[in-house]
This record gives sequence, C-alpha cells and structure tokens, in this order.
Amino acid sequence: MAIFLAKRLTMMLLTMIAASFLVFAVCEFTPGSVARKSLGPFATQEQVDLLTRKLKADDPLLVRYGRWAGVLLGVIPDPLQDPDTGLNFKDSRGAQYFGNFGYSTLNKLPVNDVIWDRLGNTAILGGLAFLLIVPLSIVFGIFSGLKEGGVLDRVLSIVSITFTSIPEFASGVFLVTLFVILWPVLPGTSPLDTGSGWSIPSQLVLPVAVLVIYDFGYVARMIRVSMIGVMEKPYIRTAVLKGMTTRQVVLGHALRNAMIAPFTVLLLQINFLISGVVVTELVFAYPGFGRLLLDASLFGDIATIEAATLITVAIAVVTQFIGDIGYMLLDPRIRLR
Amino acid sequence: MDKKSHPYIPTLLGQLNEGAISRRDFLRRSTLLGLSATAAYAMAGMVDPSTSAKAENLPKGGNLRIGMRCMEIKDPHLADFAEKSNVVRQVCEYLTITDRNNITHPYLLEKWDVSDDLKTWTLHIRKDVKWRKGRPLTADDVVWNLKRVCDPKVGSSMLGLFTGYLVEEFATGEKDDKGNPKKSSRLWSEKAIEKVDDHTVRLNTSSPQIAVAEHLFHYPMFILDPEENGSFGAGANGTGPFEIVEYTVGKGAKYKARTDYWGDGPYVDTFEFVDLGDSPGAGIAAMASKQVDGLSEADAVQINSMKAFPHVAVYKVETTQTIVARMHPDVDQFKDKRVRQAMRHAIDRDKVIQTVLLGAGTPAEDHHVAPSHPEYAALPKYGRDIDKAKKLLADAGFPDGFEYDMVTRPDPIWELNTAQALAEQFKDIGIKVNIKSLPSAQYWEVWTDAPFSLTAWGHRPLAIMTLGLAYRSNAAWNESHFSNAEFDTLLTQAEGILDPKERSKVMAKIESIMQDEGPIVQPFWRIFSTVMDKKVKGFDLHPSQYIFAHNYAVATA
Repeated sequence: MAIFLAKRLTMMLLTMIAASFLVFAVCEFTPGSVARKSLGPFATQEQVDLLTRKLKADDPLLVRYGRWAGVLLGVIPDPLQDPDTGLNFKDSRGAQYFGNFGYSTLNKLPVNDVIWDRLGNTAILGGLAFLLIVPLSIVFGIFSGLKEGGVLDRVLSIVSITFTSIPEFASGVFLVTLFVILWPVLPGTSPLDTGSGWSIPSQLVLPVAVLVIYDFGYVARMIRVSMIGVMEKPYIRTAVLKGMTTRQVVLGHALRNAMIAPFTVLLLQINFLISGVVVTELVFAYPGFGRLLLDASLFGDIATIEAATLITVAIAVVTQFIGDIGYMLLDPRIRLR
Repeated sequence: MDKKSHPYIPTLLGQLNEGAISRRDFLRRSTLLGLSATAAYAMAGMVDPSTSAKAENLPKGGNLRIGMRCMEIKDPHLADFAEKSNVVRQVCEYLTITDRNNITHPYLLEKWDVSDDLKTWTLHIRKDVKWRKGRPLTADDVVWNLKRVCDPKVGSSMLGLFTGYLVEEFATGEKDDKGNPKKSSRLWSEKAIEKVDDHTVRLNTSSPQIAVAEHLFHYPMFILDPEENGSFGAGANGTGPFEIVEYTVGKGAKYKARTDYWGDGPYVDTFEFVDLGDSPGAGIAAMASKQVDGLSEADAVQINSMKAFPHVAVYKVETTQTIVARMHPDVDQFKDKRVRQAMRHAIDRDKVIQTVLLGAGTPAEDHHVAPSHPEYAALPKYGRDIDKAKKLLADAGFPDGFEYDMVTRPDPIWELNTAQALAEQFKDIGIKVNIKSLPSAQYWEVWTDAPFSLTAWGHRPLAIMTLGLAYRSNAAWNESHFSNAEFDTLLTQAEGILDPKERSKVMAKIESIMQDEGPIVQPFWRIFSTVMDKKVKGFDLHPSQYIFAHNYAVATA
C-alpha cells in the first residue's frame, strides 16, 4: 500500500514538472511579444526592445524556465521585482517565497493576487454543477440501464443525448431568451456583484444550468452502458432468482459494480468543470478561472498561463490519485495486487 | 468681440455672412483659433447647446453602471484604446475638449490665444481647478505632462501628433541591425514648451499648425499628477469629477463622486464600469435584466436584438471611423498604380455596408477625407466597374489576376467581416485574397510591415490629422509606405491655410492624388451606436466612444 502511494506521488510530481516545462516551451513559440502588447501598437521598436530587456524576455528558454522554477520554489527572489528594472512590480508577500508564481503582465499584479479569487469563483460554479451532475446522471444512468431498449431507456436516452449535443453557447442563449427576456425572472449575466439588485445565488442559476445540461447526459450514458453490462452478469441473475426485490438487486449488487468504470469519468468532470468552462463563463460574463486563462492566453501573459496550467494539472493529477484510491475501495481485486 | 481674438476671425465671419462657408465650418474654425464657443455660436446666430438649461433639470444621486471591457492600464499617457481612456477619463482631464459636434472648447484651460502666424499658442489654465488631493493645478503640472508625452522613452502616441511642429526627429548616429541609421525624437527647441507664469503655458511651434487645440484632446493627453509619475489605479489623483476606488482588469471599475469638483456635475453618487467580456450576447443579456444601465458600444447586430426592449434607448452618431485595405506600393503586385485603381473599382460599397454593418455606414471615396470633415472637397463619384477594373489589371500586366495574403485581426468582428466581404468582391476581378487573421498581439507587431492589410482608423475631427499621421512620407504611423512629394507639399500647405475655401481647393488636389495613386481601398465610414436605459438622462453619444460620466444622471422612478 505504501509503495503504491509512493509510486503514485512520484508520478504526480514528474507529470507536473513535465507539464510545466511543456507549457513554458509552448509559450515560447506563441506569436507576439509581451512587451509589444504592454506598450501598445504605437510604441517604437526602441521602447519595445527596452521593455523586453527589462522583462528579461530575450534570455534562452532554459534560463527563463530555470528562473521561473527557482522563483516558484522560493529559491531565488523574483528579478522582475527589483526596483532597478523600473517596472514598478510589487508583491506584498515579498520577492522570495514558496509558491511565488511571478508577476502578471496583463493585470500588473502578482499572479497570486489574481488567480485564487478567480479559481474560487469557478470552484463555486463547478462545485454546484458537480453536485447536480452526480445524482442526476446516476439516476438517469440506472433507470436507463435497468432495461435496455425499454420505453424508459429510450426516453431518457433521447433526453441525455439531446442535452449533451447542445453546445454551451447555444443552451446559454436559449436559457437567456427564456428566463431573461421572455419571462424575466433571472439575470442575464453573472458578474458576481450585487450592485444591479440581483442576488448572487440568482446569478448562479443559469450558468450552473448550462453546465449541468451540457455535462450530465454524457455521464449518464456512461453509467447506463456500465449498468447494462452488470445487469447481464450471472450474479445479478442469481440475485433475482433468489427472490430479491429490484431495489435490493440494484442497490446491493449492481450499483457498486456498475460505478467502477464511470467513477473515473465522474472525476474527470472535475477537470472539465475547472478549466473547460471558458464558454459558459464568456456567455455569462462570469469572472472565473476559464476567462482569466483565455484573456491571459490572448495577451501572452506567460506567468499567469503557467500558474493556471500548473494548477489545472495539479487538480487533474490529484483527482486521478483520488480515482486510484476510489478504485481500490470499490474493487477489492485491485487491493490485492 | 474680444480685442485679442485672432485677426482671421472677422474674415471668417464675413465668409459666413456671404454664405461662402457653413455655420459648422465657422464654429469649428473660429473656436480652434481661440474664440469661445459661446461667442462663436452667438456670432453664427445660434444657441450654444452646452449652455442650455438642461443641466439644472437633471436628477441627482444614484448609481450608474455602464458595460465596457476593462483592460490593463499601464500608463494613461500610453492609452491605446478608447476603453482604456474611458477608465482614466472620469479621474483625469484634458486641456481641451472636442464635443460630439466636433467643436473644440477649453476644458482645464480658460481659453487659448493663437498668434497670427499660427506658431505661438498661449494656453491660459483655469485658476479654480484643484487636484483631488487638495493642491491647485498649476502651469508646472501642465508643462510636466506635455514634456512627458514628448519623451520617446515614455512611448505615448502623442509623439506622432506633435512631430512636425513641437517635436523633431533626429539621427542618433547609431545603426540598427539592418544597418539603417537609428532615429529618435526630441523637442525642436528648448523653448517649445514654455511656462510663462503659474497659470500660463506657451507652445512655440516650428511650423504653423491649426489643429493644436484638437491635438490636446487626443485621448492619451491626460493631465496627470506629476507626483504619481504615470502610474494609475485605485486612489489615483486627478482633477476630474470622480475618485476611482476600485479597478480590476476583466471585472470592472468603481468610482465615487467628488463633492468639491470644479465643474458641473457629477450628478450620480457612484459610477461603475462592468466588464462583460468579449461575448456580444453578454451585453444584450445584461441590458435585458437591467444589470447595466448602458453599454459603451453596441454594434448593429446587438442593436437589432435590443430594439424590442421597452426600456432601452438607441443612440447613433456619424463618425469618421473607418477601415482601409492598404497596399504597399513597393511590392511587385501593387507597384503599378493601375492595380490599386482596379481594386478600388472592384468594390460595391453599398453591398459591403449592408452585409458588414447592416446598413450602419456611409460610402467612402478612397481618400480618407469624410464629407463631415470641414476640409472635404466633393470629387466625381465612381461605383463598381468590373470591366474597367479587369482592363486596368490587364494593362498593368496581370490579365489573370493574382493571389495575395491580407493581414487583419479577428476582433472586433466587423473588421474580419469587412475583410471577408472585400475578399469576395476582389475575387470577381481575379484577385484571390487569402485572409490571415492574426491575434491582436501579433497584428500590432506587423501592422506597418505587412504588404497588404486591413486597418481600422479612429474618428478624428480634422482630415489633415489622419492624412498627416497615416500618409505623409516616413510618418511613424505610415503603415502603407505611401510616399509622394506632391502630396506632402500639398498637405503641409493645407495645414497652414485658414481660409476654408482656399483649403478646400488644396484638399481637392490631395483627394484626387489619393484616388489616382493612393495606397488604399476604403469601403465606408462607420455609424457608431450604443444603447442606454431610458432612465439615463443627459447622455450624448460621442463619436469617439468617450464616456463623460459626470454629465449623466439617473432618474429614480
């Protein structure tokens, strides 16, 4: 068990190092320089070169990666905060501390001041959606899978497939048309402030609904397939023949086995709900992590992209780790190995 | 009339009375020469709209929220988007202001005087203006700001406007990577910007320039507190009507009204910009659920969807904002002027306006001078003529046309749509245009280097401003590499001519040079539009998308 955990943790670390380097290298080849973007289109080349030197953006890739990693681990102070550069970059935490993601050139703030609020907002959005997606997809999946090809299965399958096929921007517009324009009971955007008189919970309804509509059908389909497979197993037949009620068969024998495969799929939804919600956040002007990542990418704000990607990768490997442990609990055969 | 007013004003008045120039021409020209708007309107037999009694009827109090993108602001003197300047505009002010009718008034100035030769501009600063932090505004503050934007290390686009009369270019003696001599800029003389006394500043220019007062309202020309050295954010000092209390990129800005503001207003207690992101649907949804009271800009498509909302009022204004497909006359395909002419004859302007702007535009004439510019001279119009265009192409040595890449950017969407509409029409004369849409960051890297590109140009009240910036040989923003000695001479001549009739004769020559051998295909002038909740009072749509929140009020019921 300890070896298993140690192996997993080492893999997690290696994955994150590799991912961080890859992202850094990819940023290297993106078009447009941060200096040009910061100074605007009408700055002279002389000014652009000067800022590029100040930002140390013309050092070799490995040097910049090494510097970034050193700053992140708190081994060296962030050179951009040196007052001599004249960049006026200040971090209230100081220039050298563990977890220093550097300075966002887009926001002119330390990345740590920008990213956590946005991540929190997205976590609220994603968390609420997840809380609805899990029970809804399990219920849909079980009822569909109980009797493959039955009327209930067909109806639920049509609903799931239809909802999954509607892209988020389309369902967003449908919902806004229905609940904001035709029957004005909800706000059309979610800037998460109450200045307009709409409460924060009311602003969350539509974006959460869009995510649930988009996502639950897919997970339900996964559970359905798994359920069908399990319901054909001999031990289910035995249980039925023993005279157990359907309820007992499903809850006592089928569900646990049917959940093994979809369990990973469910956990993968956490990743989607953190980093894949860009469209929903855009449609509802939601100040979340996805929009931050989009703006940072368009601007070429490398420090923010790096931090955001690293956090996303961290979330992915952690959920994967939880997935592995979850497998062990659900499937005794894995525990034996 | 004030004894000290410019000696040319009586001539202008004479021309107005003879019917030689329009009232609008008279107003614009006489105010530029330092005549107050009230006096100018009175002489023209009109009522100055800015002095009408509307201000007293405006309700007081409340909060106003306007939806607008909130981008990073590095330094107000570097503002390069109207949106960025709107964030600063509520806090810091300008020396002059050009209103929606293109009339320029004093703002932080009491008035200005111009010498007869248009080379000495005396700026009289208001004595009742105080910074929010308590200190009075002085000539030192103004001199510091004017000198700062002239420093090439700062990188303000004001440098381009001032080049030629306050700033000169010089060779540094060094060479760049390609071996070309490096150039830099400096004030043309030690005395170019001169403090006369605590409330007077004098600009001594190297050549006559009529547009000085309008240049002082170019959007980065904010008067900032020298102590803050160009930084801007929550709590920034300013002479303006609001204090900025919160600013978050991508989220919004919050302002609190100053109680000791020197001018009229503000009427609202608090004001906010709310960032609704890039999705055009978000603006519509936010207006529908009354989460914002207005938008800083709404395009034709958005307006169409909002027309049905009973609480929404639509505002429109004609502008000189435009887009040009410009070619480098130094590449093989565009070298022959007949190719450029052929491309101008390939365009059906009305169709482009219908498809791209849903009709919200007026046809342009390929010379970047708009009918609303005072110096506009009407030339014979021409429409789409495929046969003529094909013949011109064949004569130029391209009987089968050619293929070329056109660089543009994807945002705002009307720019990309224009590229597509033009490409379709160029196809009919055998020119296959491949659209290369670059992200803005990359686009601005190459905007002057790409041989063929589509570029949007903002609203400017005088055509000579844009022509000087964009088409004068070797000008910093001369993206088309156009160089024509006769054009340059005529333009310099036009900049110094006060008589509108005389100037229009010169402009006719300039315009025909542009139509004959100029580097651009210019499809339209854009009508600018936006929406406000009907409860917003005192709103006036400025053709440059500028928001002046202290003029607006919110009706409570």
